[in-house]
Amino acid sequence: MTTFVIVLCLVLMVGFALSAAMLRSMLKSAVSLAAMSAALAVILYMMGAVWAALFELSVCVGLITVVFISAISLTTPDRRDEAHTKDHRQRFAALPFILIAAGVALIAVLVSTGFYLPQPGEEAVAEAAFNQVLWQTRQADILGQILILLAGAFAVVVLFKEGRKI
Amino acid sequence: MSAGLEFVLLVFMGLPLLIVLINNLLKREIAQKICLSLGLIAGIGQMVAAIVVFVSLNAAGQASVDFSQFWNLTAGASRFSVDFFSLLALFCIGMVVTAGFLTAGKTIGDKRFNFTNLAMIILLGMNGIALVTDLFSLYVFLEITGVASFVMIALNKEGNGIEGGFKYLVMSAIATAFILGGLAFIFMQSGSLLYSDVASALSDWQNVDQPALLIVAFALVLVGFSIKSGIMPFHGWLPDAYQSAPAAVSVILGGIVTKMAGVYAILRLTGDIFVGVNLVNQILMLLAIVSIVLGAVAAITQTDFKRILAYSSISQIGYILLGASCGSAIGLIGAMLHFFNHATFKTTLFVNSAAVETATGTTEIEKLGGLQEKMPVTGVSSILAFLSTAGIPPLAGFWSKLLIILAVWQTGNFFIAGLALFASIFTAAYFLRLQRCVFFGSAVEGLENTKEVTGGICLSSVVLSVITVGFGLLFPLVLLFVQSQGLI
Amino acid sequence: MNILSIAILTAALLLIVTGLYMLVRTHNMIRIIIAVEVAMKAITLLLAYAGWLNGQTALSQAFVVTIIVMEVVVAVVAAGLAISSFRKNGDLDIRRLNKLNG
Repeated sequence: MTTFVIVLCLVLMVGFALSAAMLRSMLKSAVSLAAMSAALAVILYMMGAVWAALFELSVCVGLITVVFISAISLTTPDRRDEAHTKDHRQRFAALPFILIAAGVALIAVLVSTGFYLPQPGEEAVAEAAFNQVLWQTRQADILGQILILLAGAFAVVVLFKEGRKI
Repeated sequence: MSAGLEFVLLVFMGLPLLIVLINNLLKREIAQKICLSLGLIAGIGQMVAAIVVFVSLNAAGQASVDFSQFWNLTAGASRFSVDFFSLLALFCIGMVVTAGFLTAGKTIGDKRFNFTNLAMIILLGMNGIALVTDLFSLYVFLEITGVASFVMIALNKEGNGIEGGFKYLVMSAIATAFILGGLAFIFMQSGSLLYSDVASALSDWQNVDQPALLIVAFALVLVGFSIKSGIMPFHGWLPDAYQSAPAAVSVILGGIVTKMAGVYAILRLTGDIFVGVNLVNQILMLLAIVSIVLGAVAAITQTDFKRILAYSSISQIGYILLGASCGSAIGLIGAMLHFFNHATFKTTLFVNSAAVETATGTTEIEKLGGLQEKMPVTGVSSILAFLSTAGIPPLAGFWSKLLIILAVWQTGNFFIAGLALFASIFTAAYFLRLQRCVFFGSAVEGLENTKEVTGGICLSSVVLSVITVGFGLLFPLVLLFVQSQGLI
Repeated sequence: MNILSIAILTAALLLIVTGLYMLVRTHNMIRIIIAVEVAMKAITLLLAYAGWLNGQTALSQAFVVTIIVMEVVVAVVAAGLAISSFRKNGDLDIRRLNKLNG
């Protein structure tokens, strides 16, 4: 059952990635990306990574999509873009074939070499609580998250706030 | 370890954070006035702290010390740790940031408040890179340094800066994808990303489930860091980023940021993780020599002061990696010393380019000429820096290059050693062209009234030149110290 | 039964190929950011899968959460650069930004 759901979501992810690349409308591309994130969140949940799934759902599906949609709406009232999008489908026409070729090639290599990874559950490891691991062993990363949010705040000040004066 | 030293260690993370805090809590008018001095305090404080920690580690006879204040040292935790190489890197960071702030005084204008904030974040990010002992935390601090750099390049929000910043962002994102992809496969096999755990997983890699996967993983990580350090097949973004950044930013960026983000990480990997993996060393050596030769050749054809320096950086980074790729102690020592020397002379040259830009308003060498008489300090310090880069004795650059080429010779790759030696001629060639166009000859029309820059820029080029010459003259002492540690 | 590992590795490869292809073939700055995001999804998938395989789910979750935070800040900064460029040039074409060459 788990395998079936995960494989289904993987197919969805690749499908949405393809539509993000090939759709002419940028807004639809951004929505495809959000749908991809949602499929990934389901996979994370099935793998037992509940917190990661929650973050993926709230931040990537929610926040990043908002960022993209505001960026697109701030930049697209531009007629010249239409001429640009006309050859869009042409430029991406080869992509599905490349993907099929790459997928078949990798599967052929993996199957022919007898590729094998241990299945989950084969090695029983004591399950540590996510909170404990995050706060007790990843302090450097937490400090890093604080710093990157600071950097992001300064970036917004530099890139957005001063621009309005002009 | 004495309690005093633990508080000194806090300087590396606490001082820049404190300065960000002070800078943002003050009234904006006051902050505008004193923010650059605050930045100077951070840079100088870091140099002093690095020296203090070095002396007390040396006195205690220890090789490394962990951060233990406010830090939970559970087994398997990602921790901060200081050893001699990270101290050297921390000192270089402090030095370059100080030079950057001295340069900023005359060049940054009303952007100084944001400049200080972002430079402090870059400083924190680079200190993190120097201190971490875990591959994932390394990625985290790389990303912090990166994000602050993208914004710094675009600080003036003019076309070139935005382009340079966006290009850097995209290349850096691709590099990140490579590195993290590799880390995922390594994590799959080792169950941890601490340097020590990854090294032990690698030491018996033939026994793991999928050795092929591990090879792919390390190839991905290596490609990622090669993009970040801008060595030759992966260098496309680097000259653009350097050229388009505001003067003070390119001092920090060119002097240290790309070295920490790429080269330092690769040196850590070769020193702590790939100990004695021949395949990695051979690939690295090949990349390094390609970078040395092609970087120098490309520098000859450039017409912009900062772009010449960027290609020169690509070539010099090649020397550092060449030393690291020998897999011997002497090669690694040579690489570390060249890392320090490169930070010194490349920062000098970027400060000089800032001086020229401030005095004349351009960095295109065709439009310049005869500045030696008008700008004696800048002229002399750039000649010293260039002689050190080309490896002329007794300047600092000569000694580190000598060690590196010696190490390559010991590995039996005589052809590569010869090529590395021969590439020094190209280095001399592009710098002679630069000197002739910018400083020698008679003054070009319109530049008759050029005056030497004063204040911070002048001060930092003098101090950096003194370090270049002094380090070269005192080099035997450095070798004696290295020998006393039993490293050679 | 090894379908799952083959499926995940294949999907990750396809996502990365899609991202890189987009990156090379598009000239639109916002599409370039979307391309980077597509590739990052593949990385997130691989890390979570690695944690599931070796039993370190808590550690891999910590990694994934950190990556998501990094990703969103990079996306915001990239969008900021794209918007600044749009205000400057009136479009998002990366080819317009080719004053730096050589």
